Amino acid sequence: MRARSVLATLAAALIPCALALSSAAGTARAQSFDWQKYKGKTISFLNENNPWWNELRPFVPQFEKLTGIRVQVVTFQEQQMRQRLVTILQSKSAEVDTFMSLTSLEGALYAHAGWYAALGPLMKGNSAPGYDLADFSSALIKGETYGGKLIGIPLNIEGPIIYYRTDVFRKCGVAPPKTLASLTAAAAKTKACEPHMVPWVTRGLAPALPYTFSNVLHNFGADYFNAAGKPNLCAPAAVSAIAWYADMLKKYGPPGAVNYSFVQIADLYGQGRAAMAFESSNEFTPIMDAPGRSADTGLMLLPPGPGGSKPTVIGWGLSMSAFSREKPATWYFIQWATTKAMESKLALRGIAPPRASVASSPAYKAWLDQLPVRQRWQQLIAEMAASGTSEVGPPIDRQPQARQIIGDAIDHVLLGQATAKAAACRADKSIEAMLADR
Amino acid sequence: MTEPAALFAHSRVRPGRRDHPARRHRPGRQHAHRGFRWMLAPATLFVLVMIGFPVLDTLWLSHFSFHFGSAAHPIGLGNYATLLHDRQFWNSLEITFLLYVLALALQLVSGLYLALLLNRARRLRRLLRTLLVSPFVMPGVVVGMMFLVIFDPTIGLANWLLSLFGIPPALWLASPTWVIPTVALIDTWQWAPFVALILLAGLQSLPSDVYEAAAIDGASGFSLLRRITLPLLAPSLLVAAILRSVDLLRFFDVIYVTTEGGPGNASDTLNIYAFRQGFVFLNIGYASALMVALTAVVIVVVIALTRLRRITAW
Repeated sequence: MRARSVLATLAAALIPCALALSSAAGTARAQSFDWQKYKGKTISFLNENNPWWNELRPFVPQFEKLTGIRVQVVTFQEQQMRQRLVTILQSKSAEVDTFMSLTSLEGALYAHAGWYAALGPLMKGNSAPGYDLADFSSALIKGETYGGKLIGIPLNIEGPIIYYRTDVFRKCGVAPPKTLASLTAAAAKTKACEPHMVPWVTRGLAPALPYTFSNVLHNFGADYFNAAGKPNLCAPAAVSAIAWYADMLKKYGPPGAVNYSFVQIADLYGQGRAAMAFESSNEFTPIMDAPGRSADTGLMLLPPGPGGSKPTVIGWGLSMSAFSREKPATWYFIQWATTKAMESKLALRGIAPPRASVASSPAYKAWLDQLPVRQRWQQLIAEMAASGTSEVGPPIDRQPQARQIIGDAIDHVLLGQATAKAAACRADKSIEAMLADR
Repeated sequence: MTEPAALFAHSRVRPGRRDHPARRHRPGRQHAHRGFRWMLAPATLFVLVMIGFPVLDTLWLSHFSFHFGSAAHPIGLGNYATLLHDRQFWNSLEITFLLYVLALALQLVSGLYLALLLNRARRLRRLLRTLLVSPFVMPGVVVGMMFLVIFDPTIGLANWLLSLFGIPPALWLASPTWVIPTVALIDTWQWAPFVALILLAGLQSLPSDVYEAAAIDGASGFSLLRRITLPLLAPSLLVAAILRSVDLLRFFDVIYVTTEGGPGNASDTLNIYAFRQGFVFLNIGYASALMVALTAVVIVVVIALTRLRRITAW
């Protein structure tokens, strides 16, 4: 009894000491991590005009001060960035060290070409304590892994959601739709009640629309490829999805919807001229920054269709060029941009955090609590992450070409140049021909 | 109000090109010139490297099945065979020519009208010339962005102007029917002044004695324009047509900014189609074949117009 009491006393005394020592050791390790190891190096960063980059940009001078590494930044619009990047990578140039990459679109192609540097070996012994890769969503890390190699670090998590005007719905007696059929009815009712308002807007620009269309396709119970691995847009469910998508834009969309992508959609909804906008959750901050929208906007996922609810979820990643001559210094930049501390700061600026610890942090929760619409936004992102699919186009490496074919098919229906059935079957044939041409 | 006859009258007479001092035969200097021919070497080398190499490289690549990120495989004339059966290629060729003919006609007519007006202007000619230069010194991307807003079906100035006359709004760049006329209109806004400046120079070099003789014979107004000014101005019109043809057949920037070849494929010119094949689909071999085809089209048109110019020279 006495011995037990002594042991208990010793344990009580030693455990806090051990914890304190461990904490001190951790702090010492953190302090001992040499951020200045690559001082004097210069790296180049190619990125797109994306909310993540727009929020990170003001902090870059802090990185340069912390590390002594100079960052040369080149920013383009998304398509132009990709066009510039492929020419650089194809020529094996070291002109770009790090770049933003959307693996759901280009990952397979770039990985197959050997354009991504493997980050795993660089991380070993070169990462600040507490960086903790396991903190990222496992689905996102999987999306950044090809052939067992980690080729990027997740930057955000996003997917298409419906932004709708609660005040307009209230005025018109429209309840938030529970099915795709009731969504059509809601658009019709809004059109009758608010004739000067655009009832529904989503992407119509051919190469951009598969991002929003994929969610519709999956909710109709269809897939781009069938079980035999053949293009499947000509199947009845896919034809119905194409007809629904095109009809919604034709009957309830803005004039010229065929040229609409995220910029035009965010502008139209932000200006208060659309009742519903089906667009990326990534546009949340610019839309909320528009006067009045944070007070009168409701959010929801695309309602279930005959195939249930299968939201689309993707994420941008930060990758390194295989031809970079400054790989360790570049890794310093990548890890700094994706630390818990940095992602916490970005989360408070409306960038959906890919790290679990940031999503559950008190500061982020307090930020969400400031506005009900923010809470709803985070709730939808969590739902997407739990049940979503990243299939935005057929599962092949020639994604850009396949997406153009799908976009063209839908646009032909939207413009009245073809029926949904004819456009869908022609798209299948085009995809088959593309796959045969290897 | 300007009298039509006066509008088409011209003043200064310049020496004919056969009388030009540079064309006179000077045998004593030929030997000296031959000694300095090596000085042409840098310019020749520059032309060979900067123009010859990309052309030859494109020609070479067009014989390969080559996607960025994959190895290239020689396929001989395979890409050209694909091209002949590619429905989109023929569609793009048709769109390219439609846009070319429409824009060139608009530019020559409006350029001629501007030149005739400017030729009559005495006091403000220098200011007007400066104003005319301003559209075509603007980058195509800026012009594209500007007109993207002007022709926006919802908030654009163009539809607002139509509404003032009770005309219903048009879709402009978002309409498969109207996109080519709209793009031709944008290009005309930018380049008709350039045509006008070329034609103005031509008008100012026309001999005045022909007009004086025509006036004595009682010719005036439209007949003066049709029977004297236009035939005499034909070489200048053809110079303008040649210069604009090269640009119009490979027209890219404004279309890329405003429609990216859409809606659907309604403004998918050959250049836009080749760009998409090369830099979006990364199919460099096929894109090279398309560019070779486009270059051939440009060369054929330019040769035809150059021959026509020789015929009409006076």
